Order: sequence, then structure tokens, then C-alpha cells
Amino acid sequence: MAGEEEGNQASTETLDHPPAPAAHPKHAAMLERLSNRHQQSLSRKPDPNSPDSTHSFLSLFSQSKLSIESNISLLRRQSTDQTNPALKSDLEKIFTSISHLEKLVAENSYSLPSFEVRTCLEAVSSLKQTLDTLASDIVPIKRFSFRNKKDPSSVVNAIESGKTEFHGSGEPSCPVGDLLGFKEREKKAPSSVVNVIESESRVTELEEKPSFRVWDSPGFKDRENEVLVREFKGLEMGEFSLTGLSSCEVRLTGCLRALFVHKLRDCKVYVGPVFGSVLIEEVEGCVFVLASHQIRIHRARGSDFYLRVRSRPIIEDCSGVRFGPYCLGYDGIERDLKESNLDEETGNWANVDDFRWLKAVQSPNWSILPESERIGRVTIVSSDK
Amino acid sequence: MGLLSIIRKIKRKEKEMRILMVGLDNSGKTTIVLKINGEDTSVISPTLGFNIKTITYNKYTLNIWDVGGQRTIRSYWRNYFEQTDGLVWVVDSSDLRRLDDCKFELHNLLKEERLSGASLLILANKQDIHGALSPHEIAKVLNLEGLDRTRHWEIVGCSAYTGAGLLEGFDWLVQDIASRIYMLD
Repeated sequence: MAGEEEGNQASTETLDHPPAPAAHPKHAAMLERLSNRHQQSLSRKPDPNSPDSTHSFLSLFSQSKLSIESNISLLRRQSTDQTNPALKSDLEKIFTSISHLEKLVAENSYSLPSFEVRTCLEAVSSLKQTLDTLASDIVPIKRFSFRNKKDPSSVVNAIESGKTEFHGSGEPSCPVGDLLGFKEREKKAPSSVVNVIESESRVTELEEKPSFRVWDSPGFKDRENEVLVREFKGLEMGEFSLTGLSSCEVRLTGCLRALFVHKLRDCKVYVGPVFGSVLIEEVEGCVFVLASHQIRIHRARGSDFYLRVRSRPIIEDCSGVRFGPYCLGYDGIERDLKESNLDEETGNWANVDDFRWLKAVQSPNWSILPESERIGRVTIVSSDK
Repeated sequence: MGLLSIIRKIKRKEKEMRILMVGLDNSGKTTIVLKINGEDTSVISPTLGFNIKTITYNKYTLNIWDVGGQRTIRSYWRNYFEQTDGLVWVVDSSDLRRLDDCKFELHNLLKEERLSGASLLILANKQDIHGALSPHEIAKVLNLEGLDRTRHWEIVGCSAYTGAGLLEGFDWLVQDIASRIYMLD
């Protein structure tokens, strides 16, 4: 209460004569602030609290509101002609003028009675709503949808650079890269050549209208009862994905940046160091041997994981998953592990976090593989030989 | 702009901003926060719960809330919505399969009324990985052009691993929040 009185007093003082030097520095500062503010408001508006200024604001507000409303109704009458290209720009114009109006209210909210602020804001929001309904009538919102298209340009790139990359397309075609791969699929090679030619002819067609593409990362997709081998050289390999495999054995040697695994059944997966993260979803009855900086396992059932991880591996919605230490070997793995900063055994393979079991007691969803049940060291011999 | 936000602007004295980092798991949220704070990013476990970092950025104090993205804990995101000035949505640009999931979660999040005034920064992370989508492509997939027109948003490609693009993104975010909140200064 005392402070309020002082304040009142101070403001009256400033009207007539400069304030007397105050004993307290804080008090002096406050007096100065008050006088400054008073001076400012004097210079900017003659009298902000007078009914006049409120009145002039309100008339300005209702004027622009009226003009916006008339613009909207004009636009609505024109909107029957859907082809008119000016419709969209008109919409934008009205939208900006509403924003201006809103800003005007915000700027004047200091000096306006709270009731007026509220009514003005309500008016603005109702204007916006009207415009929105009109906009959705005029310009139907385009919904994004995925389309199933190949990425022919990168197929061609892959051929040119001689890199072994597979672009899964859902069709049971033989991947381009595997031309260099296995004996058992050599007999299918001609069909894949045809595929490549088809894709190349489609490139020109697609370049004209650069529409939205659906990508598939390089990887193995939709295979059954196969041995899938891939060797990565150096650090140029980015992501790789394993999708929809059943009863396959996958051997990936060399370094890669990220690995995505989705929908695997009864597979054995041996992977060299992943400098980045591994994401595994929906696997059943599989064995994984992985080294990575981060590992996330979702919806896995009855699978064994032999891991080396720099951070704590996590599981979510899993059951019957077991963990053991990394046990992969191939020519040059020590160098690859060192390059990927994974040469040190952190023991984190046993520090599993179960996001479905946030209790201190051991989660029933995972366990440590008893030493007697672990697989021995897995050694991959290079397929070149 | 509602009455509430006007009151907030008037009331706001200290130059503090509350920033919420969200996105699917494995998108690199924690790595981004540690990287802009100049910390070691070589050992980061998937976030169980959340981390808070207070960072001084230009003349502002950023309170960054980094919330775990695993499916199990996404339902807790809403506990962090209150008073959020800036929203950072992090996308793993190399995870093509889950982009649909990512789009769904983002649009679901933006329906939230408490976040309606927040500036939205989309970080298309992992640009350093060979095969990652460009920010332009990510914007298309996430249908950012279809967002509410009142939403302030920006998409920036970045790499939490190299640090590229992070400052550009946060510069935009801080500028945008400042121009909204401290307009009356």
C-alpha cells in the first residue's frame, strides 16, 4: 500500500516540477523511470487514457475490419470460378491484412481497456475463421501420399561408380550390385541387365517432371533361404538396411554409418563395426552379432544378440532376448573396429535398458546368455578368394 | 495471438526461452544438445526420461528440454508442453522407412493447443550420412507447406556429428522467438 501511495505521489510530482533528490538510490531510480515514462507517453500520444484515443483506435479498427469483411465476401462471390489464378493471391492479401489488424490490437493493448482488447481479439479470430473456411473451399488442401517409384538416377550412379548397391523395389528382381556377387545367382544376371536398361530409359522421362520419389536405402530386401554377403571398403558406406528376410544368413564386413533392420525371421546376421546407430525392429528367432555406438531393439522375440556398444543398448516391447559379447572375426576387423572407435570392450552389452520395465529389479524380458549356450567366435572368410 | 500471449509478453522480464526438443528415437536429439553445448558426444545412451541444459546464446538464456523419443515414453511428451517458446523437431534423414511415423507424430504434436504459439524448427539431422534425404525432400515428406499458416517454422539440414547447420538452425529459432516475445521492448 505504502509503495502505491509513493508511486502516485511521484507521478503527480513529475507533472509540476522535477522530483526532489531522493535519499534512497532505488527510490531515485524509480522516480526517474516514472518521469521518463510520463515524458514518453506525453510525446507519443497526447493522452493515452482519454476516451478520445480509445475512440480513434476503435474507429480505425472497425474501419479495417469492415474492409476485410467486404474483401472476404467479394472473394466468396468470385470463388465459384475455381480456375481464377488471382484467388490465391487475394487470399494471401486478406490474410496479411488480418495479421496487421491483429498487430494493431497488440500494439495498443497497453492503452486500451481490457474489455476492448478482448472484443477486438475475438473479432480478429472470427475473421480468421471465416477466411480459413473460405480458403479450404477455394483451395482444397493437397494431401501428401507415398508413391511407389524407383529412383532410377541412383541406380545408374551405382552402375557408373561400380559400387554394389541394391535398390529394393518390392519386385523380385535381381539387384544390380549382385552382378558382382554370388555364384548361385549368376544365372539370373541377364534379367537384371534388362532391369537396368529399363530404369535408364525411365530417367529421361522422370527428369522432366521432378515429382516426389520414394526411396529405398541400399540393403537386402525380401529374401528367403539365402546367404547374403556384402563387403564395405573404407568409410564411404552410409546407411544399410535389412528388410523382410527369412531364414537367411547375412554377412556384412567393413565399416558402415547406420544400420536399419526390420522384419527378420530365423536369420543369422553378422555385421562389422557401425559408426553410428543400429535400429532393429520386429525380429524373431534371430542371432545378431553387432558392434555399434548405439543399439535400439524394438519388438524382438526369442533372439540372441552378441554386442559391442559404446553406450547402453535398449530394448522396447521385447521378450526372450538374450545378450552376449561381440564375437565376430574377419580379415582386418581390428583395423575397422579401431577406425570406428569401437576397439575397446566396454562391457555395455550386459547393461541393457528395458523401456518397458522401469523398475530396479531385473526385467523378465531379457537375460544374459549363459556361457555354455553362446556361439563360438564367428569368422568370415572373404568371398574374393 | 491470444490474450494470454499478450500478457506473457508484458510480464516477461528476463530474456529466457524455453525450448523443447522432440522427435522419434534415434534422431539425434541428445547429440545435438551436447554438441551445441560443446560437450563430448562419443558416448550417448538412448535417453530414458529427459535432460535439461541451460545454455547462454547471444543475450538469451535457453532452457533446452531434451525428451526421450522411444515409443513407450512419447506419451510423456505432453508433460513438457507448458510455456514452450520454441519447438525443435529432429528428424533422422537417413531413416527412410520411419518417415511416415515421423510425419504422423509431428502433426499429432502440432495439434496440441499449448504449443500453438511456439516457433517450430525442424532439424533434418544426419546429413553427413551417405543416402540421407535433403532438407527440401524432408519438408515435402513431412508436408510442412500444409502447416497452419500462423505457425512460424523453418527447416534446416544439419549433422550433429560434424556440427554443421546446428548454429544456423538455432539462430533462426532464437531470432524468431525474440521477435515474437520481445516485440514490445
